[in-house]
Parts: sequence; C-alpha cells; structure tokens
Amino acid sequence: MDNATEAATAASSSDPQVGLRAVVALHRLADALEALQVDNARAKGWSWQQIAEALGVSKQAVHKKHSGRPTTITTRRD
Amino acid sequence: MFERASTAMRAVVIDAQEQARRLEHRAIGTEHLLLALVASDTQPGGLLRELGLTTERVTAAIRRLLGTRPPLGEEDAAALRAIGIDLDEVLARIQEHFGPLDLNPPPPPPPRRRFGLRRNRQSPTRPLTGHIPFTPRSKKVLELSLREAVRLDNRTIDAEHILLGLLREGEGLAALVLAESGVDVDDLRRRTEESLRKAA
Repeated sequence: MDNATEAATAASSSDPQVGLRAVVALHRLADALEALQVDNARAKGWSWQQIAEALGVSKQAVHKKHSGRPTTITTRRD
Repeated sequence: MFERASTAMRAVVIDAQEQARRLEHRAIGTEHLLLALVASDTQPGGLLRELGLTTERVTAAIRRLLGTRPPLGEEDAAALRAIGIDLDEVLARIQEHFGPLDLNPPPPPPPRRRFGLRRNRQSPTRPLTGHIPFTPRSKKVLELSLREAVRLDNRTIDAEHILLGLLREGEGLAALVLAESGVDVDDLRRRTEESLRKAA
C-alpha cells in the first residue's frame, strides 16, 4: 500500500458511513464463515455438542441455526 | 388470452422473466411483474415511479423480504480495508480449502410459508438459463388482468390491467412491497383506471 492510499484509508476510517458499512460486511462475512465452518466440522465428524462448545453457544442454538439447511461446502480438496 | 394483449403488456410480461433472471430467481413471481412495470415506459410504470417505487428500491425491498442480499462489493471491500481487513485475502484463503464462499448461506427451512415466499426463489448456486416458469400467484395475476379488462369493457389487455391484477390479487410479494411502501391501493387503482379511460 502506498502513502496516498494509506492516508486515504486513515482519513476514511473515521467516517461513520465507512465504519458502519464495515460492520455490516463483517457480520455477513462472519455469518458465511460460521455456516461454512460448521459444515466442515460436521463433515469431519464433529458432534453438535462439540461445535456448540467451540462457538461458545448452546447445543440447541447451533442445532436450530444450522441443522436444517443445505450444506454450504461446494468443493472439497481431497 | 394473449391474443388480446397489447404490445406494452407483452413487453412487461417478457421483462418480468428478465427481472427474475437478473435476481437469479427460479420462478416469475408477482414481484417480477411489479419490477417489470416499474421499469416500463408505460402509464402505470409512471404512476408507480411517482410513488417512489424505483427499480432499485423495489429490488432492495424484495431482497430484504426474501432474506437474500447482493454479494459484498467494492465499497464493502474498501470499508473492510479501512479497518484493516483484506477481503480478497480472506476469500482467497477460504477458497483454497473450501471453494468459493457463499455470502448468502442457505437459511434453515422456514416454519411455514408466508406471503407466497418460496425457498426455491432464492439464489441458486448455478446461473439460470432457459425457461423460467410463472408461480401460481403470478399466473393468477395475469388471469385477473384479463378479468379487469373484461370488467372495464376494454378490448385489449394493457400494462394497466397487469397493475390492476396485482392490486386485486393483493397477497403476493408485490402486494407486500406495495403495502410496505405505504401505497394507497384504492387510490392507485382509481388512478390506473383513470389512465385507461384517458387512453380510450
């Protein structure tokens, strides 16, 4: 990253518009990553209990959120 | 019924299919008929735009109601960069192990169907090609548009009749978008019928 880009980034990061947009994007990224990682753990034989513990939530919560939906994993590197 | 359809009416129906394809939906619903009307150079299109219903706003409302969102774009990447996160790098690392990251992960199945929302209308993994069918509700809207033409003693079915059909059907996603936008249905119906009388 050159100096000009760095300065622009530093200036814009105090802008609420940019900051809030980053929050929304992060939430979406986190949701997508959660779905992916839960599927990966299930594919590797993890129990819902183990996944819940790793995520720091109840087993019921993780089961409700992730058990009924189709898998997100599109390709597998075997 | 289509032998009685005007060129404008046919164009709206054809564009509804394009709208469904643009949103990567698997069926043409009432919301795509609404979008096609909003985007059309017709009297009812003008009436809807006057009420603030632009293509962008209707599209955003549909995505919100269906729970699907556009992929993270340049602005999102820039906002993340501003807080020190390189989105491309994150996505590249994920891709390395798991393939492309789906930013609209499939939601758990809904407890019951409401407002005619169908799961199969959500973003599929493959791009859509070929024929897209009409949903039962949008077929109903087209039937109602014919009935509206008969009721008003109009020889041809025009774009106005599609809007009247949408307003008459009143339960699909289009009706929900209109209700949410604070549209006065009775007033809009009156003005649509007025526009038909002027044209006659």
